[in-house]
Amino acid sequence: MIEWLESALHLTVQMGTVYLLASLGEIYAERSGILNLGLEGMMIMGAALSFIFTLAYGHLAAIIASIAAGVLMSLILAVMAIRMRLNQVVTGLALTMLGLGLSGFLASPEIRRGILLTLNPNIPENLLGIQQAPTLPEYPIPILSEIPLVGEAFFHHNPLVYASYAAAPLMWYILFKTRLGLSLRSVGEDPAAADSLGVNVFLVRYLATMISGGFAGLAGAYLFLGFQPFWNEGMTAGKGFIALSLVILSTWNPLRAILGAYLFGGIETLQFRLQLMGWKAQSPYFLAMLPYLVAIITLTLISLENVRKRIGVPASLGVPYSREE
Amino acid sequence: MPTKIETRLGTIRIERRLTYSRLASAATTLTAFLLSLLVVAVILRVMGLDPARAFAVIGEVFLVPRLLSESVKQSIPICLSALGLAIAFKMNYWNIGAEGQIYMGMIAATGIVLLHAYYNLFHESMLLPLMTIASFILGGAWCLITGILKAKLNVNEILTTLMLNYVAILLVDYLVHGPWRDPKGYGFPLSIEFPDQAKLQFLFGSPACTGLLVAVVAAALVFCVLDYTRLGFEIKVVGQSLRVARYAGMNVSKIILLGSFLSGGLAGVGGLSIVSGIIGRLRPGASPGYGYTAIIVASLAGLNPWLVVAASIFFGGLLTAGGALQASMNIPRAATQMIQAIIFLFILVGEFLKRYRIVFERGGRT
Repeated sequence: MIEWLESALHLTVQMGTVYLLASLGEIYAERSGILNLGLEGMMIMGAALSFIFTLAYGHLAAIIASIAAGVLMSLILAVMAIRMRLNQVVTGLALTMLGLGLSGFLASPEIRRGILLTLNPNIPENLLGIQQAPTLPEYPIPILSEIPLVGEAFFHHNPLVYASYAAAPLMWYILFKTRLGLSLRSVGEDPAAADSLGVNVFLVRYLATMISGGFAGLAGAYLFLGFQPFWNEGMTAGKGFIALSLVILSTWNPLRAILGAYLFGGIETLQFRLQLMGWKAQSPYFLAMLPYLVAIITLTLISLENVRKRIGVPASLGVPYSREE
Repeated sequence: MPTKIETRLGTIRIERRLTYSRLASAATTLTAFLLSLLVVAVILRVMGLDPARAFAVIGEVFLVPRLLSESVKQSIPICLSALGLAIAFKMNYWNIGAEGQIYMGMIAATGIVLLHAYYNLFHESMLLPLMTIASFILGGAWCLITGILKAKLNVNEILTTLMLNYVAILLVDYLVHGPWRDPKGYGFPLSIEFPDQAKLQFLFGSPACTGLLVAVVAAALVFCVLDYTRLGFEIKVVGQSLRVARYAGMNVSKIILLGSFLSGGLAGVGGLSIVSGIIGRLRPGASPGYGYTAIIVASLAGLNPWLVVAASIFFGGLLTAGGALQASMNIPRAATQMIQAIIFLFILVGEFLKRYRIVFERGGRT
């Protein structure tokens, strides 16, 4: 029983980390007023590039390439949404489509072979055709990982999971306790007021959007290298949109995102476990709906005026800013 | 916005355009479209594929009758959903839930077929009319949920419509894995096959012709509603300025409710056109993202119902070409999605160029 619970908790943290990483960046973008609906596309580009680059150069290069891909895609979003003031929703969705299409194209066996040979002409022949890559190694933290139950669940993971433990509080601190964070939130709340106080609205929004892209790429790399190292077209399977739900559930707060991430990770673990235990085949579908339904309910609750004021929903989310108007 | 970039050669400024003719607007869209194809060509070239041959394969789809009829078939769900989106977008209601509304429409249509097959509740000739009504109502209701939240509580419709997509997709998964699974289907997650009377092929026995008729009729209806009715006028006013609509004494929440219902309803009928026009039964993942392609189509067509029909056929052709590209050139199917997205991004940048212009001034910094 204890072992069952330990491995379930371990899986919960593994799954939750995908959502946590992706939502941390998205929280920054949305706090600055930019709704990045390209999250799913940036994640899957991260996954595809981490696949290709791991085979060509190894894990570190893969993680860097994934982050770079996310940042680059978010830069497209930033230019189109911030400078050109195009509709963020449509632009973001276009980027999601681009990511899904481009990743499937680049990582398909026919195209991948050529890319791998270009990246590394000395690559062993047997790596050219395989659909998987080695996972990131796990490093149990001494002493902590021996605590019963919690140790295995939280302290026996790969470095990216530990990075997410550090990133969430750090990003909370920056967002709520520093001048930079204050500028970021003010830009998402009332850009005109922030502008008149000397905050560079455009710069802050560019930075926040690129942070969201970088984290999305990292989340994709983690998804692939962390626990699902078989390339599958469209393997993010809506996880980017679950991360968007998580941002709402966390009410744009990085610390609350930790709890939400493990809640969603737990729901997903439960789906697997129930299936393994021979529950009726249909139960997982209703469990899988929960993250989306929770997001809709949260959105409804925070639309009530007094709740909204207490939580501080970014008031200018999705509204382009221009000095002319 | 820093609207000025100074370089050594001169200054680049971005200026808002005051007027822009219809012709120039069409020319911009066309240029953006051609540029996107150029980018696609470069990507294919870099990856060692022959772009000219790839475009020839895509072009062939529109010339060979068998492939053209397949393209038209594929375009119907896109077209119906995009017509719905045109209504919503005119209202400035960002319904990105056409995909989910499509799935709800498929559920409604299949439900009626099952009622007929299992309980024989009504005559065969009633099947298609009832399926159409049911899919319109269920698709509409799915969008109406978000409309109610928007109108009564001002809940952001972008996020709610998006989230409901996944709920609807999972609901279909549940139904075909569970209660609606074909008892004689060897355990595959499929519904029973639809009887011929439930298939969308009453015109010349051809699903493409029938679908095209439905699409054109729907486009005409949407055109009439938007341009010749009071509701259409109100929808456009709400879309342009909520404040003006309120000052004019319009019942804004009623308009949002009606508009969202119509928008979702059309996507619902789009769902019907998939199960009864393309597949002939319900299965998981029955829509490979028609609802998202519809967003591209609606933007590309500038929300004009007639152009929506034409643009849908183009994208239906692109989907059909995916298979041909794979078969003849070994280009992965994902390439068509990439091409769609690149076209979309360029069309969006074209929208920017219609509103603004970039001015170069000679003579640099002194």
